Amino acid sequence: MKKAVAFALSAAMAAGIFAGCGSSSNQQPKQELNLFTWMGMFPDEVLESFQKETGITVNYSSFDTDETMLQKLSQAKGGDYDLIIADDYIIQTAIEQGLVAKLDKEKLTNLDNVNPIYQSQFYDPDNSYTVPYGAGVQTIVYNPETVNFEITGYEDLWNAALEDNLAIIGNYRVINGMALKTMGESYNTNDVAKIEAAGQKLLELAPNIRLIKDENTQDDLISGEVGAAIMYTSQVTLAKMANPDLKVVFPKEGIGLGIMAQFIPSQAPNPDAAHQFINYILQPEVAKQCFEHLGYYSTNKAADELISEEYKEFLTLPDNFTADSTEMIAPISAEAEEAHVKVWTEFKNACGQ
Amino acid sequence: MKTRSISFSRIFMGIVLVVMYLPIVLLVIYSFNESKISSVWGGFSIKWYQQLFRDKEMFKALWNSIILGVSSSVCAAVIGTLGAFGMTKIKCKANGVMEYLSTLPIMIPEIILAMVFLAFFSLLGLPFGMTTLILGHTAFCIPYCFMLVKARLVGMDASLAEAARDLGASEWQVFRDITLPLIAPAIASGMVLSFAMSFDDVIISLFVTGVNVNTLPIRVYTQIKTGVTPEINALCSLMLLATLILVALSTWLGKEKQ
Amino acid sequence: MKQAKASKKYWATLLPLYLFTILFVGAPLLYMVVLSFLQRAESWGVTSQFTLQNYIQILQPVYLSTFADSLKLALISTTIIVFIGYPFGYFMAKLSPKGKQRMMLALMVPFWTNSLIRLYGWIIIFRANGTLDQLLMGLHITDSPLKLLYTYPAVVVGMVYALLQFMIFAVYSSAEKMDWSLVEAARDLGASPAKAFFTVTLKLTLPGLLSGIILTFIPSMGLFFIADILGGNKVVLVGSLIQDQLVKAHNTPFAAALAVVLMIMTTLMIALYRKISGVRDLEGLL
Repeated sequence: MKKAVAFALSAAMAAGIFAGCGSSSNQQPKQELNLFTWMGMFPDEVLESFQKETGITVNYSSFDTDETMLQKLSQAKGGDYDLIIADDYIIQTAIEQGLVAKLDKEKLTNLDNVNPIYQSQFYDPDNSYTVPYGAGVQTIVYNPETVNFEITGYEDLWNAALEDNLAIIGNYRVINGMALKTMGESYNTNDVAKIEAAGQKLLELAPNIRLIKDENTQDDLISGEVGAAIMYTSQVTLAKMANPDLKVVFPKEGIGLGIMAQFIPSQAPNPDAAHQFINYILQPEVAKQCFEHLGYYSTNKAADELISEEYKEFLTLPDNFTADSTEMIAPISAEAEEAHVKVWTEFKNACGQ
Repeated sequence: MKTRSISFSRIFMGIVLVVMYLPIVLLVIYSFNESKISSVWGGFSIKWYQQLFRDKEMFKALWNSIILGVSSSVCAAVIGTLGAFGMTKIKCKANGVMEYLSTLPIMIPEIILAMVFLAFFSLLGLPFGMTTLILGHTAFCIPYCFMLVKARLVGMDASLAEAARDLGASEWQVFRDITLPLIAPAIASGMVLSFAMSFDDVIISLFVTGVNVNTLPIRVYTQIKTGVTPEINALCSLMLLATLILVALSTWLGKEKQ
Repeated sequence: MKQAKASKKYWATLLPLYLFTILFVGAPLLYMVVLSFLQRAESWGVTSQFTLQNYIQILQPVYLSTFADSLKLALISTTIIVFIGYPFGYFMAKLSPKGKQRMMLALMVPFWTNSLIRLYGWIIIFRANGTLDQLLMGLHITDSPLKLLYTYPAVVVGMVYALLQFMIFAVYSSAEKMDWSLVEAARDLGASPAKAFFTVTLKLTLPGLLSGIILTFIPSMGLFFIADILGGNKVVLVGSLIQDQLVKAHNTPFAAALAVVLMIMTTLMIALYRKISGVRDLEGLL
C-alpha cells in the first residue's frame, strides 16, 4: 500500500461537515509539529482544528516514496521530524536502525480505539513503536465494458485479451509478489530461484502492461486509458465512487495487506506534540473524518460505526477476510532483494519494447 | 525564387511555433474548465484559480524557488565573474583543468550531479534543505555566468584598459570604470539564465531538498504524479502571464533606452 | 617584475572559483568514483570493502540493454531535433534584425514556462479522448481513441519538445556569426544552392550543429521524469535506472558505478566534439 490519494475535491464539497471547533485558544508559547508523510493524508479541517485546540502548528512536509523518507530520516539521524506516517516494511528497517522512539502510552489515552487486527504485526510485534493509521489491500479493478471476460484472480491478468490494457503498481515487491502468488509462493520468499522463475513468468505479462504508476491510477481507469488495474485501496474507493459499474476483485490467489503506521523518530524535536497529535486523531469522530478523506480501511474500530453509509463498504474490511487469505510484505534477504530488482528491471525493459 | 524560399522558411517556423505553443495554450484553456477531468469540457469556471490562491503550500514553494533562484544566481555571478576575470589575468596550467571541472555540471546529465550531491552532502553531514539546494544550484549556475563573462572578456578591447592605465588609473579604477561596465551585460544575462535554470530544475532539487523545503518544480512534479488537478493549469497560466509581462517590460525598457 | 606582482594580486579573484569547484564539483565526483568500487552493506548503506562487483553487474544483459535502449531513445530524439532545429535556427539567422528579436522572444516564453507544466500539456493532448483524439475522430481520420499516452512515441515527443530549443539556439548562434558573403561567393562561382549549402553553410555552422547534438543527446539519457510522465514508467533510461537503484533499491555503489559509466560516455562525446569542431566551448549554450 502506498500513496494516499487525497479526496481533496470531495473534501472541499463536504466542507460543511466541520467537527467540534473548540475555540479554547490558550496562549502558549508557539509549538510546532513537523509531520512527514505522503501528500494529502489528512483533511485540512482536521489539521486546522488540531491547531486550534492545542495551539500546535503543523508543518506538513511530504515524501513520494518510503525509501525517500528513510533516506531523509537517516540523514537527519532520527531528528528534524516529530511524526512520520509510512508503510509497514520500511518502519521495520527504521526501527532496526534505531531511528524510532518508543511510544509513551500514558499519553495515548485513546489507544484502545485501535482495531487489534492491525496491531502486533511483523514490524512491531509488541506495539511499542507504532500506532496504525490507514490499512489497505492490493486489489484488481476492471471495467466490464472494455474487458469482456471475468477476472477472479491474478492469473487472469495474463489473459491475452488484456493486451496493452492493464495498469499496475510500480512496486516490485507487489508485482513480482503477484507472480509469486500465482505460483503458490509467499511474497517473502528468500529463494532466489523462485524469484527468478516468477520473473520469467512476469515477462509474459509485459505485452498487457500499458502503465506502471503508483498514484492516481483510478483516473486512467475512469478515463478509459486502461481497462483493468492493480490498485491500492484508496484508489479503489475513488474509482468506485466515480464509476460504480467498475468491478473490484480480491484476487483468489491471496491478498496483500499493507498498513501505514505512525511513529515518532528517535530524536524528534517535539515528541510531546507528536503524542498529542496521535491521540487527537484516535478520537472516533476525528478518525472518521480522516478515513473518509483518506479512502483506506479504518484501523479505528470505534470510528467504524460512525463512517457514513456512502463510504462504509470501502472503508471497512470485507467480512470474508481471514488471516489466512492475507499476507504482508516483509523485508527479505539482500540476495533476494537484489534478485527482485533485477527481475523488475528486466520486466520494465520488456514492457517498454 | 528568393521569395519562395522565404515563404517556405516562414511556414516552417510558423508550424514549429504553433506546435510549441499548443500544449501551453491548451493548459491555459483548460485552467478555466469546470470539470476536473481535463479531457472533458465542463463549462467555464475560475474555481481552480480560487483553489490555487488558497493553496498555501504552493505559494511557499514559489517563494522558496524565488529565494533559491536569486541566491544561487547571485553566488554564481560573483564566483563566475571573479573566476573568469582572474583567468584572463593569470595564465597557468591549472586553469584549463579548472575550467573543465567548473563547467562540467552543465555538460553531464543532471541525474549524475543529483546523485553525487546526495551522497556527498550526506557524507559531510550537511543538513538537507535550503543550504544544500543553494550549493547544488550554484554549482550548475556558475558555468553559465563564467562562460558568458569569459567570452565577453576575451572579446574585449584590451587597449581600452591599457589606455586607462597609461593615464594613471589604478587597477581597481580600471576594473570599476572600464571592465565592469563592459562585462555588465554578460553578468546580467548569466544571472538571468542561471535564475531560469534554477527555477526550472527538478532532478537536482528532488535529491538535495530537505524538511519542509519544497520548490515549485518539486511541488508540480509531485502534483502531476499524485493528484493532478487543473490547479496546475491555473498556476501555469499565471506564470505565463508573469513571463509575458516581464518580456513586454524588458522590450519596452529596451525601446525607451534606444 | 611588476607584472609578476600584479598577477599575484589576481589570485584572490580566482580563489572562490577554485575553492567552490574543488569542494563541490571535484570532490563529490571523486567520491562517486570511490563509492562505485565499494560493496553495499547488507540492508542499508555502504561498507568500506573494495570490489569490482558493481561494474561486473553492469555487464549483465539486463543492464546493458538499458544502456542500449537509452542510447537508442537519445539517438531517435536527437535525430528528430536535428531535422527540426537545424532548419529553424538557420532560417532564424536569416530573418531581419527585428524578426530575430521577435523570434527570440517567441522562443523565450516557452523556455520560461515550467518544463514539467509544458509536458503536462502533452498529456492533455495525448490522453484517451484527449485533444488529438477528438480532432482526428472529428475529422473522421480515426474512429477510436489512439491510446497515444504511455507509448514510446509519446516519450520521444516529450524529449524533442523539452530539448528542441537548445538545438535552435546553438545553430542560430553559429549561423548568425556566419559570413554569408562566402555563400554568395560560392554561388557566384557557379555552385548550385544545394552544393553551396553542403560545402559552405553546413561547414560553417557545424560547430553549432554539433553542439546542439551534444546539448540534446546527453540530457536525453537522464531526463527520467519525461519517461515517467509520458511513458507510463515503461521506458527505462539510464537516468531512471540510477534513480531506482538509489531510491528504491538503495544500492548506492551500483548507482555510482552506473553514473561513472554514463559520465565516461558523456566526457568522450564532448572530447569528440572538441576534436571535430575545434571549438572549446559548446556553441550556443548560452
